[in-house]
Amino acid sequence: MLKINNLHASVEEKSILKGINLEVKAGEVHAIMGPNGSGKSTLASVIAGKEEYEVTAGNILLENEDIEELAAEERAHKGVFLSFQYPVEIPGVSVTNFIKTAINANRKAKGLEDMPANEMLKLIRSKSEMLEIDRKFLSRSLNQGFSGGEKKRNEIFQMAMLEPKLAILDETDSGLDIDALRIVANGVNKLKSKDNAVILITHYQRLLDYIKPDFVHVLYNGKIVKSGTAALAHELEEKGYDWIKEEVNA
Amino acid sequence: MSKYTEDDLREELKTKEYEYGFYTDIESDTFPIGLNEDIVRAISKKKDEPEWMTQWRLEAFKVWKEMKEPDWANVHYTKPDFQAIAYYSAPTSVDPNKTLDDVDPDLLAMYKKLGISVDEQKKMNNIAMDIVVDSVSVATTFKKTLAEKGIIFMPISEAIQEHPELVKKYLGTIVPTKDNFYAALNSAVFSDGSFCYIPKGVKCPMELSTYFRINQAGTGQFERTLVIADEGSYVSYLEGCTAPSRDENQLHAAVVELIALDDAEIKYSTVQNWYPGNAEGKGGVYNFVTKRGLCEKNAKISWTQVETGSAVTWKYPSCVLKGDNSVGEFYSIAVTNNFQQADTGTKMIHLGKNTKSTIISKGISAGKSQNSYRGLVQVSSRAENARNFSQCDSLLMGNECGAHTFPYIEAKNKTAQIEHEATTSKIGEDQIFYCNQRGIDTEKAIALIVNGFSKDVLNKLPMEFAVEAQKLLEISLEGSVG
Amino acid sequence: MDLKEKLVSSFLAFENHVDIDCQIHDIRTEAIKTFETEGFPSKKDEAWKYTSLNSILKQDYSVFPKQENAIEYSDVKKYFIHDIDTYNIVFIDGKFASHLSQTTHDGIDVCLMSSALNKPKYRLIIENYFNKVATKDSLTSLNTAFAQEGAYIHIPKNKLVNKPIQILHFSTGSEVALMQQPRNLIVVDENSHVQIIERHQSLSNNPVLTNSVTEIFGNKRAIIDYYKIQNDNVNASLIDNTFVNQKRESHVSVHTFSFGGKLTRNNLNFYQNGEHMDSTLNGVTIIGDKQHVDHNTLVHHIEPNCESHQDYKGIFNDSATGVFNGKVIVNKEAQKTNAFQSNNNILLSDKATINSKPQLEIFADDVKCSHGCTIGQLDDSAMFYLRSRGIPEKEAKALLMYAFANNVLESVKIPELKKRINGLIANKLGVNIGFDL
Repeated sequence: MLKINNLHASVEEKSILKGINLEVKAGEVHAIMGPNGSGKSTLASVIAGKEEYEVTAGNILLENEDIEELAAEERAHKGVFLSFQYPVEIPGVSVTNFIKTAINANRKAKGLEDMPANEMLKLIRSKSEMLEIDRKFLSRSLNQGFSGGEKKRNEIFQMAMLEPKLAILDETDSGLDIDALRIVANGVNKLKSKDNAVILITHYQRLLDYIKPDFVHVLYNGKIVKSGTAALAHELEEKGYDWIKEEVNA
Repeated sequence: MSKYTEDDLREELKTKEYEYGFYTDIESDTFPIGLNEDIVRAISKKKDEPEWMTQWRLEAFKVWKEMKEPDWANVHYTKPDFQAIAYYSAPTSVDPNKTLDDVDPDLLAMYKKLGISVDEQKKMNNIAMDIVVDSVSVATTFKKTLAEKGIIFMPISEAIQEHPELVKKYLGTIVPTKDNFYAALNSAVFSDGSFCYIPKGVKCPMELSTYFRINQAGTGQFERTLVIADEGSYVSYLEGCTAPSRDENQLHAAVVELIALDDAEIKYSTVQNWYPGNAEGKGGVYNFVTKRGLCEKNAKISWTQVETGSAVTWKYPSCVLKGDNSVGEFYSIAVTNNFQQADTGTKMIHLGKNTKSTIISKGISAGKSQNSYRGLVQVSSRAENARNFSQCDSLLMGNECGAHTFPYIEAKNKTAQIEHEATTSKIGEDQIFYCNQRGIDTEKAIALIVNGFSKDVLNKLPMEFAVEAQKLLEISLEGSVG
Repeated sequence: MDLKEKLVSSFLAFENHVDIDCQIHDIRTEAIKTFETEGFPSKKDEAWKYTSLNSILKQDYSVFPKQENAIEYSDVKKYFIHDIDTYNIVFIDGKFASHLSQTTHDGIDVCLMSSALNKPKYRLIIENYFNKVATKDSLTSLNTAFAQEGAYIHIPKNKLVNKPIQILHFSTGSEVALMQQPRNLIVVDENSHVQIIERHQSLSNNPVLTNSVTEIFGNKRAIIDYYKIQNDNVNASLIDNTFVNQKRESHVSVHTFSFGGKLTRNNLNFYQNGEHMDSTLNGVTIIGDKQHVDHNTLVHHIEPNCESHQDYKGIFNDSATGVFNGKVIVNKEAQKTNAFQSNNNILLSDKATINSKPQLEIFADDVKCSHGCTIGQLDDSAMFYLRSRGIPEKEAKALLMYAFANNVLESVKIPELKKRINGLIANKLGVNIGFDL
């Protein structure tokens, strides 16, 4: 599904990713953990195609295709989905209108007609029920005045609607209370299948109690310095990141 | 009607040029250029007008000659040469006894191009329609249906003949001939326009609509609209405008007068899409328009406008809230791109007690354009408990355009409550990336964000117009992002 | 002879009298020409739409006061912030009053414009700064033509001026009607900090017209807090033209408290020539009778990454008229500008008028600019609440008005001055309560 080879990336001439290697296969869940400033969010943005980030070496293959030259929306059409750590507000554009526009843009890229209105309605209804989203919520302006929990739930709602191949969840657990975390995690678990893959980016192990990762990677100073199974996450929770830093710096 | 989607829109927008920029070769009867008393008389004679009307025009002409073109607006342009314009142009095949079947097939074909096939409109949209090409009204549909309710909807030239008492009573009472330079000019030379009267207690069952088009080169368009809503009546009125693409500047100086008597309500919506000039700022329509309405007791006037066209716009649809408890509203979207300049806004004059006004103005500037909001909220000393809320938001796209806000607030009564807010912002790169990540390309993302920004105003438009307006917003801003 | 002619024809005599060889002779000559061409502004000028000078210009002002009128400190002590140590530059009928002043040349210059114009050691500063930020409009030009006396303050690099500077202009009424044109120049160099209080006070009921120009230069990292107390008597009118030129990382604030006077017009202009600075313009206006106060502000954002904050509160009683005409211009280059402007007004009487015209002219796209303007009344339910707690109506009203103006008052950084202003407000509102809540 996703293969990252020796990826180096920088922003405003400042080098942030310094040689990432990662392979994610269909059906797998990977967690990327690490201390603040280690480059986790940068990695997510680079995969999604944010223009401020410059790839200086290495490559990213999505289903064996190098996606470096693809614009953000083209990557999205190929099934990359990023759940943002800080989703932006778009005043006056309702959640429904936004997702409708997104779905039809993706369909168009695949050469499909617009989704008929009634089918769209049905889909919105079923996905919003799954995530326990109130109907009123759907008519509100996108992310405007949303609480932290509502924003994250909205991100997962969009993911459910778009059914991506590769979902990258950037700090989706931050700012969520336990109920919201459970709902969001449930949603992600239901969307998981043998054909798609999930990358969880998180600072804490908490989310991993709800979404079981197959692999856990520790990102530090722009590199993956340790990989392991779910047990590694527990170890990090107990011992913090200092021992990793010491190991690396030793 | 079916929901309009962003993709419908995309499909229709394959061409980036001004899509109404065709010129239809129809035979025209055009006066020689220039303006003097003889021309004014000739226009009046052409229309077979009664003497009082001729005199009224001549007086206006006298006033106009003494007036100077105003220069306080935040717009810069070469002043039109008023002696180089033809003041009357009409398609020759207009017959006073016309029916739709008699209309010149070329004309009908033109309406089709404009997306306003008279037949279709008639059947599908339940809109009574008057079409003014160059200066003359060429087709009024649905006359009969309206007549059954006692509603008069006809070209003003006919109204002068058929209902002189109404025209005489109201014409020039809201916008006096000497009100301003362009109003005086219009009063002297207007050749047609629409007239509408809704009798007491009648709710007009359909939207009334006028479509204006300047076709002939070197002509000015000076239409005059007069809408009278008698006590307790209601009417919703739509107005649309297009012109061919031409290298020279064309002048459009219209006057619209609205009278809402006790308990009446008038909703007046405009989608203005005169030719804005090309990307280098050559050509385009000078749109100098005076629009004003008078509210008697408990009456309400609501102006909604979507201004995307014209090279220069100078326009302030206003409400005189004379009657107690009357309400004035102004909802506006003004988009400027390339070298367009717009100076537009409203005046809310609170005279009566418990009068209320609301102003929502959304300005979007792109390219090298300049977009100004200019508004006046005035509360007289007798206007107890007057309320006003104003919100003016500007969105800037690119770094070569300007957005300006000039609100004037004058309060002379201690019970007045006035709130004015204004903001200026831009489309964030993070907003665009967010849309991109969901598969929405940049151009569509901008359309989406701009539509969101304009939503409060778009919502006020009748459905048929809202669709067209959204489409226009997108056309107007195409190519504005690098 | 009308005032304009009188002024123009007095010019030659004035220059001969002061010093024809003065360094600024050419500037003065140019300025009188400008004034002669343009004359006094009228309501036809957009900037003067809501303020007419007609009735004021009718007086037969004497332009050069003839006799000296000695006043004692005890007569005017109450107009000083006297409970703290300050530098004082005091003028009586336009002439420097050394016995009331405390000037200095000790590391900083706090002295007189007249000596700065005449002494060689100030030559360079005058050359670099005099008339450099003042605009060339008619009233400013009129002042420039007759520029001779006023405060001259120069704070060199890295000085924290340890006590506030007071500039006081008294007029004694020795003339039937007096026109004054003080000219102040304030230059604050890199990394220095100064606080200045300015006040104009007439000691009689004879008409006074003051056309004042103040140029303020805040160089790199300078901090300037400027306070204007406008509480003159009912026959005194003031046209205050203040121009502020800021350099990078400087902070300049001008606070204007307008309670008195017949007609007061404040032309307050800020030009931001540098990055990462902020400008603050605050005002509280409380007037009644037939008083007229007009705040005409300009903040010109020229370079990126700067801020401006304007907050003007007005309370208008009787037949008073208030005008707020605030303009913010953001140049194309001035990206990341944050400009905020707020004007809130309360009308207490049916005959009072407020005209407000907050304007934004924006040419840059990555900016946050907003303005808000409200006109309203005191909150009835708050009034009721206070009265139900036993506070009499008059005091309750005063408390609410004080609360309305409070955020501007909070920005006064000299405690004694704040106390004084609170006293003036209580006095103006006719109540005897301390507002030190």
